[in-house]
Amino acid sequence: MIDFSVYGEQTPHISGYKCLKCGMLFYPAPMVCKGCGAHRDPVTGKHWEQFDLEGPCKLLTWTRVWNLPEGFNRKFLMFGMVEFPNGLRASGRVECEGDPVIGATMDATVVEADERPGTPVKVFVFR
Amino acid sequence: MSARIGIVGIGHCRFGNSSEYDLVDVIAYSANDAFRDAGGLHLRKEVDQVLVGNMAAGMFNHQTSVASALVSRMDMEPCPAELVENGPASGASAIRLGYMAIASGMADVVLVAAGEVMRVVSGWEATNIVATMAHTEAEYNMGLTLPGFAGMFTRLYMEKYGMTERDLALVAVKDHDNGAKNIYSHVQLPVTIEAIADGENANVVNNYVAEPLRMYSTCPISDGSAAVILVNMDSPKAKLFAKKPIRIAGIASATDTHCVHNRKDPLVLDAVRLSSEKAYAMAGVGPKDISVAELHDAFVIFELLNSEEVGFFERGKSFLGVRNGETEIGGRIPINTSGGLKAKGHPVGATGVSQVVELVRQLRGEAEEGRQVKDPKYGMAVNFGGFGNNVVTTILAKD
Ligand SMILES: [Zn+2]
Repeated sequence: MIDFSVYGEQTPHISGYKCLKCGMLFYPAPMVCKGCGAHRDPVTGKHWEQFDLEGPCKLLTWTRVWNLPEGFNRKFLMFGMVEFPNGLRASGRVECEGDPVIGATMDATVVEADERPGTPVKVFVFR
Repeated sequence: MSARIGIVGIGHCRFGNSSEYDLVDVIAYSANDAFRDAGGLHLRKEVDQVLVGNMAAGMFNHQTSVASALVSRMDMEPCPAELVENGPASGASAIRLGYMAIASGMADVVLVAAGEVMRVVSGWEATNIVATMAHTEAEYNMGLTLPGFAGMFTRLYMEKYGMTERDLALVAVKDHDNGAKNIYSHVQLPVTIEAIADGENANVVNNYVAEPLRMYSTCPISDGSAAVILVNMDSPKAKLFAKKPIRIAGIASATDTHCVHNRKDPLVLDAVRLSSEKAYAMAGVGPKDISVAELHDAFVIFELLNSEEVGFFERGKSFLGVRNGETEIGGRIPINTSGGLKAKGHPVGATGVSQVVELVRQLRGEAEEGRQVKDPKYGMAVNFGGFGNNVVTTILAKD
């Protein structure tokens, strides 16, 4: 038996989606294209392109949330909303020293988080 | 729309901690109260349709099929009964569907009863359950909650329009002043601007929840219920009820993107603007005709934003109106005379019906001394489902 899990952990990714009929970009995945009305089949993905959403982005706004529930072993967590150069926007966590600056360029990465009960989930971290 | 549909009975319990009571009993309490207001509990046999507003009994209380449970608890079988779930706008959506049931001719009398018992779980668990209305993959999984979104939203508004944290506190002071006089309020203590913004200990008393939002910019977690009885004013059944109907002049809803980040301008609440435009058109009135308004203020920034989207203030100017006292009782446009979600409380599924009960009390002239608006003609309620993505606007008229 070959146990593929011993070949190391896969880096987590979060996908953006492109409608190949009209070129419109989406995050998260739609089922119907807002641009041309094309259907997206989530099984075959035909006529749609999937790409990793990460890298440089601009911080639009942020908050620092206090009094976190059990499972989050820290005093506060910062969240923010960013815009990528391709125009897509995303919400996620912010990690930096001090207060983040609106308009600053951040680097979007993806990690797996397991603070809440259940299966670990993919989380954007903007640094 | 040719049907004339009015409210002939209102019921409400005091919001607060009802966690020792069963959810269905809590809702039945207000249903009972509404029949008593309308002329007696025997009137329950005249009801053609029961609609129940509730957001998350399955998660909070391990109770599903709440409408079936309520009908049986109230001895109203075999009356048709359905549950309406539209997040924190479940209550107003139930009223809207009740209106549609009567307008369609399928019912003449509709009982709308709504409630939520949230304090059976911890504060964070309640916040977490409410957060399940967000997009699972792109919002909820990130760890985001509604206070988190409201914090980001408030910061954007402050950056763009120059509002200060003190302005947020001024809204809370006004809401708590009103709530202190409302027998149904969860929080019945007024607060001063010294205590929550200007004083030495303000940072401790009014600590940050989701910066720049503080505790006094955020509604409490409350239990409670409210109910209204709708009637076709042109049906013979209307004469069975003791109270003069308060007419539903306009009622409309609109939706927006599920993900907050996908809105063209995250500061623009399209669903509020569109639903209010539709409700104004249906009622044949405009913002200047409204005498009193209940605007969904789970976070005080929403009261400000909503008051701009419905046309009471220009964009970015509402907080200046608050500074001038324009939204106080006796001001140009009194807002959240009940204390709003901020002081009265926000049992999520009940809120939309509770707002309408407050408008009926105002239009009847039955609000408590010190918070009755002088001779109001039209009242407006805006109820949010989701983070502004499924909004119901209701306009009531005193004919
Ligand atoms: Zn397309």
